[in-house]
Amino acid sequence: MNRRSFLKSGLAASSLLAAPSLLRPAMAATPVTIHGLKSMSGAFASYGKFAEMGSKLAVQDFGPVLGAPADYVTIDTEGNPGKAVRKVQEAIQQQGAKFFQGCTLSSTALAVGKEVAKAGGVFMTPAGADEITGTECNAATFRWTVPTYGAIHQTVRPLAKALPDKKKWYTITPQYVFGDALLTAAKDLFKELGIQHVGNSYHSTTEQEFSGYLTNAMAAQPDVLLILNFGGQAANCLRQAANFGLKSQMTVLVAWTAGLDWFQSLGPELLEDVYLGAQYWHQVDTPMNAALVKRVKEVYGITPNYPLAADYISTKVILEAIKQSGSTDGKAVAKAMEGMTYDGPTGKETIRAQDHQVIKDYYLLKGKAKAQMKDPDDYATLVSHGQSFPTGDAILCKMA
Amino acid sequence: MLNLYLFQILNGLGLGMIYFLISVGLTIIFGLLNFVNFAHGAFFMLGCYLCYALLAATGQFWLALLAGPLAVAALAWGAEKLLIRRVYHLPHTFHILITVGVALILQESAIMIWGPIGKSIPIPEALQGVVAMGKFAYPKYRLFLIGFSAVIGFLLWLLLERTRFGALVRAGSESTEMVSLLGADIYKLFSLTFALGVGLAGLAGVLSGPIRGAHPFLGPEVLGIAFVVVVIGGMGSFGGALAGGLLIGLVQSLMTTIWPEGASLMIYGAMAAVILWRPYGLFGRA
Repeated sequence: MNRRSFLKSGLAASSLLAAPSLLRPAMAATPVTIHGLKSMSGAFASYGKFAEMGSKLAVQDFGPVLGAPADYVTIDTEGNPGKAVRKVQEAIQQQGAKFFQGCTLSSTALAVGKEVAKAGGVFMTPAGADEITGTECNAATFRWTVPTYGAIHQTVRPLAKALPDKKKWYTITPQYVFGDALLTAAKDLFKELGIQHVGNSYHSTTEQEFSGYLTNAMAAQPDVLLILNFGGQAANCLRQAANFGLKSQMTVLVAWTAGLDWFQSLGPELLEDVYLGAQYWHQVDTPMNAALVKRVKEVYGITPNYPLAADYISTKVILEAIKQSGSTDGKAVAKAMEGMTYDGPTGKETIRAQDHQVIKDYYLLKGKAKAQMKDPDDYATLVSHGQSFPTGDAILCKMA
Repeated sequence: MLNLYLFQILNGLGLGMIYFLISVGLTIIFGLLNFVNFAHGAFFMLGCYLCYALLAATGQFWLALLAGPLAVAALAWGAEKLLIRRVYHLPHTFHILITVGVALILQESAIMIWGPIGKSIPIPEALQGVVAMGKFAYPKYRLFLIGFSAVIGFLLWLLLERTRFGALVRAGSESTEMVSLLGADIYKLFSLTFALGVGLAGLAGVLSGPIRGAHPFLGPEVLGIAFVVVVIGGMGSFGGALAGGLLIGLVQSLMTTIWPEGASLMIYGAMAAVILWRPYGLFGRA
């Protein structure tokens, strides 16, 4: 071997050694990446933690998409719309991100949805604001959560039917879009059902002291107290209502609870006999839910709650749509999602093409006494379930 | 209708006494040490969690009521020795920087120990239930809170007005140099006062636990209220904390009937009105 051939073979060898990293993308398909928008820090960190568990598990269990296992990346929204939008823009521009899932806060979800639509991607969220699939809907954004209309119809209606003598209702409402949407739906339904609305207390979105509003409620002497706030505010409102003895004087309904993790923070003493509206409940008997509960127990050792289940199924739906469309083109994937029917945790779920709203069940639960709980997460009995969505002209979404 | 307002006044008194307890520690510390403690709310939060933990471990609310504030005070005493006293001589911005840091450490520690989801704290058995008043009902626990806070307020007043320690604290808030020159151990006095003030935040936390539950993000909210009360009453004034607390409690409670959506806003409305009328607060001095 002369010097020249030695050098040649050396070059060949070294280029071969370097090759795998160059060749890999050409040989196997580029993995699809799902970006999970989770509030991992800040005031909503408790939701983000569970939501991330859901998305990770969905990606892990899905198997190959377009020839390669999917990737998953978490973007910490910090519960802050401004920061979330900036990070989403970065991901789109620097990593070519297209598929997003998550956002706990409505304000974040609305802002992120617009960014993803601009980039021609797909975004599926469990956030609460009706605008997401209403006035501010767009081609890229899909929502799993039942809107306020359904939450009211699936809680107030069955409760009024079960308790026909309880005709006087009082409401406590946070004064912002979400609260007002619930209140408007409730008022319309009261009229239809012949319920007397004996009063409402609006409160600010920062309020944590509810004794004054509960006093107003006591003065109106209602049969039912309908609590329309959410999360920490609903927790304090319910806790203080129990302190003031309201639970023994009237029926209490919290129309929109955060589900299991919220129940865990309150405990059975406060929840006993309270009616609770929920987007997801782990005891619901559907094939996919049974499998999800089993799998989450296996992997994480916990019972799935709303943020976990919502982000699990939303992530899975996006992956399924990519698989069905056989493409990573945002428009093609969105097209595949429109009208899709799949096995979800609440049973058969369908994505309505007109406004990108998932049509699924909403639940009315009733808090159990501690002595009746069969396991530590058995907080409530399922009273009723069903689907109520705005239809026809009441669908406010006009896709551009 | 009249009954409703009377009841809201009672309710406001209850709230006001909690606000007094929350803010009196902050004002005592500011009065003597001229030190702004932004960790006050976080120590309150810690009090809440200690109430939860001690109740869960022993089932004894009264033990939690004693041990919780003492533990918080002990922690504050240690923090003062290690950290806080090194910045007394620096401008207020440094006080803010260091106490916000302490607050964050406490908040994140609470999340690490007890998790990001809040905890409910049961009302002690002897104080469960309500006292019926016509069509209204007032929780026994809140009645106890009004009485207990009044007793604590009275004891504090005795401590500050009738003891040698109190005399030194009051003299120190006039002129620390003079007290030091007269031979009092000013550093010991500072440590004790800081521990006392923060211990009161811990006590307020333990007492509020059954009403509010424990939550890692209680601190900033409570701190906001405490500052409003202290500004209304006058920075450093004991009587001011009482008057400010009661005023805020009453305003908040009555406004929930008169103008519910503005009840939280009117807390700050009341503060603005007081500042316009008396820029140094009700009991403050220039």
